Amino acid sequence: MHSIVVDEFRNYYSQLGSKDLEVTDLACRELAFLQFGEQMMIRHTRFLDEVSLRDHLIHKTPAHLYYSSAYYKEPQAPDMNRKGWLGADLVFDVDADHIPTTCKADHDRWRCLECGSEGAGFPPESCLSCGRKRIETTTWVCEKCLDVTKNEVLKLLDEYLIPDFGISLNDVEICFSGHRGYHLHVLTESLRGLASDGRREIADYVRGIGLDQRLHGFMVLNRNGPLIGPDIRDGGWRGRIARSIYAYISRCNVEDLRAVVGSGSAADTICRNKDRILGGITKSPPSWVGLRGVGIERLNRIAGASIKDILCNIDERVTLDTKRLIRYPNSLHGKSGLKASRITYNDLEKFDPLRDAVAFKDGEIKVYVREAPRVRIGNHEIGPLKNVEVVVPKALGIYLICKGAAEPRS
Amino acid sequence: MLTREDLAKYPFLRKASSFIEGYGLTLRDLAAPEYSGIVRRAVERVRDSIEGRRIVTDWKDPETEILAYPLALAFAYGLKAGWVIRRFATAESKRCYELLKMEDGQRLIEVAEDGFGWRLEQNDVNVEGRRFDFALGVTEYLEVAPQFHSANWKLVNRYLLRGRVHLKQSEVARLLSESVKNKIVKRAAAEEVRRFEVPEAFGLYLEEVRRLVEKKGRFYDEEAPVGLVEEAKPPCIMAIISDLAAGKSLSHMARFTITTFMINVGENVDNVLKLFRSVADFDEGKARYQIEHIAGRIGSRTKYAPPKCDVLRSFGLCVGVNALCERVRHPLQYYKIRAREIARGAVRARGGRKVA
Ligand code: SF4
Ligand SMILES: [Zn+2]
Ligand SMILES: [Zn+2]
Repeated sequence: MHSIVVDEFRNYYSQLGSKDLEVTDLACRELAFLQFGEQMMIRHTRFLDEVSLRDHLIHKTPAHLYYSSAYYKEPQAPDMNRKGWLGADLVFDVDADHIPTTCKADHDRWRCLECGSEGAGFPPESCLSCGRKRIETTTWVCEKCLDVTKNEVLKLLDEYLIPDFGISLNDVEICFSGHRGYHLHVLTESLRGLASDGRREIADYVRGIGLDQRLHGFMVLNRNGPLIGPDIRDGGWRGRIARSIYAYISRCNVEDLRAVVGSGSAADTICRNKDRILGGITKSPPSWVGLRGVGIERLNRIAGASIKDILCNIDERVTLDTKRLIRYPNSLHGKSGLKASRITYNDLEKFDPLRDAVAFKDGEIKVYVREAPRVRIGNHEIGPLKNVEVVVPKALGIYLICKGAAEPRS
Repeated sequence: MLTREDLAKYPFLRKASSFIEGYGLTLRDLAAPEYSGIVRRAVERVRDSIEGRRIVTDWKDPETEILAYPLALAFAYGLKAGWVIRRFATAESKRCYELLKMEDGQRLIEVAEDGFGWRLEQNDVNVEGRRFDFALGVTEYLEVAPQFHSANWKLVNRYLLRGRVHLKQSEVARLLSESVKNKIVKRAAAEEVRRFEVPEAFGLYLEEVRRLVEKKGRFYDEEAPVGLVEEAKPPCIMAIISDLAAGKSLSHMARFTITTFMINVGENVDNVLKLFRSVADFDEGKARYQIEHIAGRIGSRTKYAPPKCDVLRSFGLCVGVNALCERVRHPLQYYKIRAREIARGAVRARGGRKVA
């Protein structure tokens, strides 16, 4: 890697206060490093305090720094079984990589390594022309991607973790991942001991996996009796389903509805009686009789369609893993030069990663750009560019170099 | 307040241990003739559990009942057979379940607190005619509930509010009794339990049980039969096979599951390959390579196992849950149990003759 990047990373770490590197029970965590230009991660290291960690970062400045979500008796033991697992934070990972946003067509490309065919946007699972799966991607991130991931984090907290799981904001740490998303760490002590299968249940809960609407109150009483269902004021999935159906019916049109329920006449009936149905749903106690004729099967399908937007788009593998390595809060990301900033819940709304996670504030740098889409860092925007030399603010230059799209020129 | 009768009913309680400690007796002391009643009761509990008989709490003499429990547990561990411990644990869990179901609310809360440190609260929620009389901390719920497989136990289908899961009494009883079982089984792995030997002095009492264990053990420790027992395949595997037969192309996960499953029950590569023949994009060379890789013949040489039920469920591959599915966490476990049942003739193999 170009020495200017290493120097800038080192400068960044030397001006950090030791508070910036604080994490809960640092001495119980495994730390891992990836040095510039190296492939092999240095693992199984342990630091007793933030000061010695910072010293290390200044002297052996890494491109990437990770810490374990797990707490161990002996985090430095090279054999996982000897580490003595004590527990782990509950972690959620939201990454633009996993979310098919429309803007990807503007800034992402994929190429099949087998036949060479290529395309723009979210990569297909297998090559569109030869069907094989060795696909290489060039991905960027834009404001839109980052907004989508931020909204996922807010949804996760506001819709699920706080009201349903009763998790206190004091126990939550939100970090920008330094590149394309966010990490959410839940530090609640009572959750630390949770095994992977319990964590899976939590991940499934927020992703709506295995959700059965009939177990949340919908039923037809005594065969030909009335349809009853949950109240929009209920908590948990009950209320969420009721509210989603309400919202869905109030904004849907006949065509969409027809596609969902698979019946023209049912869709017509719902649309014609929209106001009456909606009025019934909001009553206390609610009345679902307006949908009685639609049948519980179709209602199930409407529920399924209506909750789509409310499910959390997380990478569940991270949540299940009780021994995951995660980017260290406030460290720099070697593929962007951005800071994995720790953000408070209150600041999240207005947090702009491309400005607020910028680590290098002053100075300019000349770079040769091979290829880049439109890119903004801070208030400076360039691109799309191809094979040109430009003078740009340092943060933007380093971003392009870290992304592998440019190299420094003197 | 937990009474002496409660301790007899729930000898896993911490209060029961302190009650026993109050006697200042060691295990060896109990071999003395004046305690023969206790020893006999302990032996009886182990024997009944081995024979799958229901264990009934003896009310008349709570003291004997309380003291017999740790001794019975020691015997179960001391017999050094995994299946004995599991049977004992299951019997205890069933016995507790029956009792906990009938308990009054306050008592249930005390048992949960003293036995497992659980935050159980009385609750007053009533929806669609279902009464949720209790609320349990979600962490405690997740210690146990993932072991149960019906949709109803999945967290996403529970009424969860502010970190509390709403439950009916019978559900609380089920969770607690499952915990009783887990605790017994888990402790078997502890160093001091593995090293433990039943003192000689109890030899005579245990003679009969030892013979029983030996007789039954020959059957239980048997490996699952070689070659595929068609009827023992779990529903998830059957579904994948019928998709294959219909020529549907499978997801990566489905392919991995069926292949690992077949290899693990002892099928050879050729037979596994046959399954894939009807799929449209079948490429024999490639498929063979993949299967051999999974079988550990080439590449990393690790033999892969199929995913757990949990994982299959997340990937939408777990279809319909029958009674046996309820009890297992892994499709191979399902297979082994069913195959044994079939071998034993306990379950009539359905289907009959295959048509060529
Ligand atoms: S519970 Fe397990 S064994 Fe049964 S169908 Fe589902 S995945 Fe298969
Ligand atoms: Zn291709
Ligand atoms: Zn974008």
